[in-house]
Amino acid sequence: MLSGASGGDRQHHQLRLTEPSSYDSSTTPRVLTVLSCVLEKLVARNDQLSGGSGGKSLSAFHGVRSPAIGLDKYVERIYKYTSCSPSCFVVAFVYIDRLLHRYPDSLVVSLNVHRLLVTSVMIASKILDDEHYNNAFYARVGGVSNPELNKLELELLFLLDFNVTVSSRVFESYCQHLEKEMLCNGISERLPAPGITISVDDVTEIPVEDPQTPPSILVDL
Amino acid sequence: MAIAAPEQLNITEIPAWGSRSVDCFEKLEQIGEGTYGQVYMAREIKTGEIVALKKIRMDNEREGFPITAIREIKILKKLHHENVIKLKEIVTSTGPEKDEPPAPDGNKYRGGIYMVFEYMDHDLTGLADRPGMRFSVAQIKCYMRQLLTGLHYCHVNQVLHRDIKGSNLLIDNEGNLKLADFGLARSFSSDHNANLTNRVITLWYRPPELLLGTTKYGPAVDMWSVGCIFAELLNGKPVFPGKDEPEQLNKIFDICGTPSEEIWPGVSKIPWYNNFKPSRVIKRRLREHFRHFDRHALDLLDKMLTLDPSQRISAKDALDAEYFWTDPLPCDPKSLPKYESSHEFQTKKKRQQQRQHEENSKRQKQQHNQQHSRLPPIQQSGHAHAQMRVGQNPPAHGGQPQVAGVPGHHYGKPRPSAGPGRYPPGGNPSGNYNHPNRGQGSGGYGTGPCPPQGRAPPYGSSSMPGAAPRGPNYPHGAPPYGTSAAGRGSSNIMSGNRNQQYNWQQ
Repeated sequence: MLSGASGGDRQHHQLRLTEPSSYDSSTTPRVLTVLSCVLEKLVARNDQLSGGSGGKSLSAFHGVRSPAIGLDKYVERIYKYTSCSPSCFVVAFVYIDRLLHRYPDSLVVSLNVHRLLVTSVMIASKILDDEHYNNAFYARVGGVSNPELNKLELELLFLLDFNVTVSSRVFESYCQHLEKEMLCNGISERLPAPGITISVDDVTEIPVEDPQTPPSILVDL
Repeated sequence: MAIAAPEQLNITEIPAWGSRSVDCFEKLEQIGEGTYGQVYMAREIKTGEIVALKKIRMDNEREGFPITAIREIKILKKLHHENVIKLKEIVTSTGPEKDEPPAPDGNKYRGGIYMVFEYMDHDLTGLADRPGMRFSVAQIKCYMRQLLTGLHYCHVNQVLHRDIKGSNLLIDNEGNLKLADFGLARSFSSDHNANLTNRVITLWYRPPELLLGTTKYGPAVDMWSVGCIFAELLNGKPVFPGKDEPEQLNKIFDICGTPSEEIWPGVSKIPWYNNFKPSRVIKRRLREHFRHFDRHALDLLDKMLTLDPSQRISAKDALDAEYFWTDPLPCDPKSLPKYESSHEFQTKKKRQQQRQHEENSKRQKQQHNQQHSRLPPIQQSGHAHAQMRVGQNPPAHGGQPQVAGVPGHHYGKPRPSAGPGRYPPGGNPSGNYNHPNRGQGSGGYGTGPCPPQGRAPPYGSSSMPGAAPRGPNYPHGAPPYGTSAAGRGSSNIMSGNRNQQYNWQQ
């Protein structure tokens, strides 16, 4: 039940899920930071364990080199340009987790985490947000080509067996999980104080349907 | 939907969908066509089972996998009920298929996904539009009860259908009725706090609260549509055939009365209430208007077509209505007459030939006659792929009559919008069930032009050269037809242009 996301919004202030979707660096939803932290930790561990291989099931998401852009910046970039609702990141996390449960041989590693993220956030936004950017836009934001992102979208949908519904109960439990991570790891302390964060140096508004707006990132994904 | 613990995972089930190729099926014939994609009747080679294959168009690269398809798949995966269409699986095709041109950009994912549905022979609209068709009271009760049972199941599972109409109600030769086309459906929460889009449900079946712009609504929206269908079945023609939103509201108010705070508390707070506020008070006269209906039918209809959604009857309560428990009782679906399949190969062949003719003459006409520009068609749709399809579905209008009444279209009708007015303005897309003149010489499949004496469509006059494009009716640029909508809508267009139409017909 997708509308569960709204139920979650009301109860998870710590994740700042209710922040307005227009980008403002001082109010970057904490969920972004928490999510990138959780994934970073996972990636670091898995990279060591597996020597960088993410497993056969996720091979489509596998890049040649790991991108130069850090996960925190990447997540922030997606949020900033696509204005998707913060809940999309929780749902994206649910998708990635479902994937890992479904295909026990698969691992999130530095070579596939970026593609997994942009694809799952995009699908989450398609499902949650009545207004969302198209794949072409997400491709530019994510640093992959439009055809590749389309391919990854299908790949992920099939891997998930189209199980893209997230009930409010599941949404809640993932929020709690993320909040717990946040407390355990003292993530909140690492959050930049409001107002002195990364300056918004470029566009703050993205005209709809203008794929040119987000500057391309060359991250060799 | 719980988080599966690894040990609970059913590994053997993976990968369930998408692992098989469309080559497991033998396409028998095309039975539908819409912006969504083509629909085929097909046979599973291994089992011999007949299915419907609905192709998901993937040629809009910028949009990726259509959200409507994602929605439909994820919702149908959850729903398992005898009155809800069964999505059997998803299959893919690995390369260009022999019946289509290779993708120019080499995108192998283009057009390669199919939804596999159980095959259904008819849809309610197509069936009702067959010449000489007259439903018995027990039959109407039987269909209505199945419709309500299926809808009740959806609502209990917190799914709103949001596009209930005759062409989305499929009927097989066992008399079973199933809800189909969940491309606009969505889950809802019972607290009704979420903001939902009000641009859903085909105009004629859209409830007053959506027309007035509410974004907080629930299952009652579907019940209004059910009421419209019910009345249409009893009445023999659509009851609120508006050509745009204001007219739609006026038609509703004309019969159901104008809303007020007394009969509909909170109505004045609905976003567009003031824009549409009726200039004069009209008394509800539904019972007088439909006085020829049987008393129990009228009682039920009255409760379905209640303006205030919070007072509108629910599917569950409707099933308990006296109507279903008095003589004649709803009949057993299996006792219903079996209607001839409408998929004869010959019919199709003929259709194709006609398309060819129409395409040619249409092209010529377009060059010479601006009048065509007002026809709704694909060409105006703004869809990236519209042009590509001209060859297959020339018609915008020309070809539609052939499709009219052909079952199966429901699988593949245009999706992007159920925005206002899927139907052409003009009002009366052929709702003439039992119309004595209907289909003469053409059969229910509309292989001929529609009856000249069809009700005069307001815009159908050929004296409207180059009539204004009907922008407002297609807010999302969606072609209004596609399949069944087209079939129905075509009649007035045809009648408006029938000279030309006759020329096309050979």
